[in-house]
Order: sequence, then C-alpha cells, then structure tokens
Amino acid sequence: MEQIDIKNLNDLQGAAKIFLRKFDKPGIFAFYGELGAGKTTFIQAICQELDVQDPVTSPTFSLINEYRTIHDTIVYHFDFYRIESVNEVYDLGYEEYFFSDQYCFIEWPEKVEMLLPERSTRIKIEVLTNNARRLIISEDKT
Amino acid sequence: MGVLILGIESSCDDTSASVVKDGYVLSNVMASQEVHQRYGGVVPELASRAHQQNIIPVVDYAMSSAGIGIEKLSAVAFTRGPGLLGSLLVGTSFSKGLALSRNIPLIEVNHLQAHILAHFIAQEGKEDDQPKFPFLCLLVSGGHTQLVLVNDYLDMKIIGRTIDDAAGEAFDKCAKVLGLRYPGGPKMDKLAATGDAEAFTFSKPSLPDLNYSFSGLKTSFLYFIRDQLKNNANFIQDRKNDLAASLQKTIIDILMDKLIVASRNTGITQIGIAGGVAANSGLRTTLFNEAKYRNWKIFIPDFNYSTDNAAMVAITGYYKYLAKDFTKQTIVPDARLNI
Repeated sequence: MEQIDIKNLNDLQGAAKIFLRKFDKPGIFAFYGELGAGKTTFIQAICQELDVQDPVTSPTFSLINEYRTIHDTIVYHFDFYRIESVNEVYDLGYEEYFFSDQYCFIEWPEKVEMLLPERSTRIKIEVLTNNARRLIISEDKT
Repeated sequence: MGVLILGIESSCDDTSASVVKDGYVLSNVMASQEVHQRYGGVVPELASRAHQQNIIPVVDYAMSSAGIGIEKLSAVAFTRGPGLLGSLLVGTSFSKGLALSRNIPLIEVNHLQAHILAHFIAQEGKEDDQPKFPFLCLLVSGGHTQLVLVNDYLDMKIIGRTIDDAAGEAFDKCAKVLGLRYPGGPKMDKLAATGDAEAFTFSKPSLPDLNYSFSGLKTSFLYFIRDQLKNNANFIQDRKNDLAASLQKTIIDILMDKLIVASRNTGITQIGIAGGVAANSGLRTTLFNEAKYRNWKIFIPDFNYSTDNAAMVAITGYYKYLAKDFTKQTIVPDARLNI
C-alpha cells in the first residue's frame, strides 16, 4: 500500500510523474473514486506524461477511448459507468485491450471487478478537504 | 433512376440503417424491439456483439421500408469512426461484403461529419431550410461537444472541443446526483422547465480559446449539493426543479459563450446545431432568443436525425458519391478518426 498526496491542481502533474516513475511499464490500472473525485483528470495528467497526442476526454459515452503517443504506443482509457452487466464487457471484446501489453486506465472498475486480470493495480482517489486528493495505491502481487 | 445510398451506422450503442434517394430519406431504421420482433428475437444489450445480431434485420427492414431491392443501390456508406472498434468492425465488414457482392462503390463516413451533414437531409417543401456555407455548427451530444467551421459538405474544421466531459455527459452525471436514472439529461430538461434558473450559480470554466470544459461544473454542482444536504436532508427534493433549471442554464451559458465568440470572430451568422442535446428545450429557447438579438439564422435537424442515426451516414455518403469520393476494400475502421 502506497499513497500519493495531491494538495491542489498545481500538484497534479508532479503526482503523475511520481506515479509513472513507479509504474514505468504498461499494465492495468483501475481507478476508484466517487463522481467528481478526479479520475479523468488524473488520467489526463498521466497521459500527458506518457506523451499522448490525442485529446484525452471522458469515455463515459464512448466506453473506450484509445490514444496514440508520440512513441507510437497506444493508451486505452475505459469507463464502465454505463455498463450494467459483465456480459456487456465480454461483448466489447475487453480481452483484446486488457491483454494488449499497453497502458489500460479504467474508470468505474467496480462494475467489472471479476474481469480485472491478476497483477492489476488499484488506485483509490480520496477527496480530502480544500480540494486536495489522496491516491491510495495497492498492487496485486498474485 | 436517381442515386440510392444505403447508410450504415454502428459506432456505439445503436445499429441503424437508412436508404436515401437523391438526398431524401426513404427509410431510417434503428435496432428496436419492433425490428427484432419481426425476426423473433429481443434487443440485445449494449455494444459490439449486439451489432452483429442487429445488422441483418436492421438493413433488411430499411430496404423493405424504402421499397427498393438491393440491386437498385448506387453505393453503400458506413461509419468508419470515431467509435468503438468492435462496433465499427461490424458495420465496416458488412458494408464491404455488400459492396463487393453487388459490385457498387463503398464509401467511408466520419461519424462527426455525418452529424453535421444531417442538416442537408432534404425534406419535401423545406429544401431551402438548410444552412448556407460557410456556417458554424455546434455538435452537442452525450459523447461529443465540438464547434465546427463548415466550409462545404466535405470541408470542415474543428475550432473548439471539450477538453474533458461532453455537455450531454454533464447533464447525465448531474442528473444522477439528483437521483435521476441514466440518461438523465431529458428528465433534467423537464424539471428545469418549472424551476428558477437564477436560484443557484455554479462555476463556469474560463478557457481562453474556443474549447469547452464541463468537468469542473460537475464537481461544483456535486459539492454544492453535498454542503446543502448537511443543513437540509431534503434539499434535493425541496429544490429539484430549481437545481435542474440553474444547472441547465449554466451548461447552456457555457455552450453559448463560445458560440457567440466564434460567430463574432468569423463573422458567420448561419448557425447549425447537431447531436442529441439539440433536443434540449432550454438550449433551443436560448438559441432562438440570441438569434433574434444577433441576427443569426438557426438550423436544427429533426430529432431523429440529431441523435445517432444512419440517415446522416447515408446523406454524407450521397455527397461523397456526387464527389466520387469512394473507398477501397482494404479500408479498416478507425476508432480515433477525426475531422
């Protein structure tokens, strides 16, 4: 268990740098946090550090956004907010993305908990007072 | 004979097929309970596999309602992107197969461009009621918020876009906070009609360019309500209509502010609105009031052609057909396709 504190928006990019120093290899990253906690915002900051060229926006409607980096790698950005049953995720062909060896960032992973592969990293975003945020990171070592 | 285009849309949730003849819609069919009943099935759930179950019934129904045989088609147009890869693949593969088997041209269509060209779906007696080039188009839906400068049917440029959430998403997510079921946007519009839009103020973004942001508004709305609930546990119940009206006004103001700047910067007064949020009555009222004041001319396609639909794909296919802008069989879908 590890945590990164973000005092305010000015801290955001620095936090993304710290995050990526720790996770410098692609993998599955599940972001937990209530509406407005800043899941999309933090993923935007990480994507900027990964040199994503495309605009990083909320995938709530599109379900999956894919972005290309200047290093010609791909970043997948998921949002399972609208998903009602796990079958829908099977139908999306999620395996193709989850096992692509690219960075996969997932919002609202609660809906697909059972599909998260082993060795996924879970990040809980807690809202503190004065707009501060705390990231609580737990790695699945199994 | 005329030019007969079959359009196929499968970029996200809905499978749709449409037949357009010389710019007029002969049929525009969406996968629905009714279509599936004809085939003895039920509407499958969201996403890609559903499109596979939908596509044959939907195309077949579109062809038979249009009253034409498949041998009469001049070309087949399909959404190449942006959208979900798995969903796009279904429409793309189907269209390629059909074009190949009929030996007719294949036409790729950009979903965003199609939303904008929905303005040119011809309707009997209303042929002149279409924007003149160049015009500004505000594309607002659950998934998109973009300001587009449209120079010609096939020449357009995005001049502003959301940097986080779409406007429709702001409606839907704030509606959730009020306890309305997804998609809550239309319900919000209904509540807002009887609420006081000046009751509360929420923060607006201050982006220097023509870009939009709705993520901050969502958070500001959420925290405001959380604070109020501490004093009054029935706050949402007591003030639901006022909250809806005030929030709706804020979203509309944000949309309008950039539209006004874009119009001022370009000198363009022909304004088109596309996407599902065009159905929002508050937005329509505000637009028509501004139009009177600013001498704008406003164009909004019928609701059926504003939300995701295949008629807009077929009409785009029609204009590409006239321009002989055809696609090779080697084409693949592009989830990130841009204008």
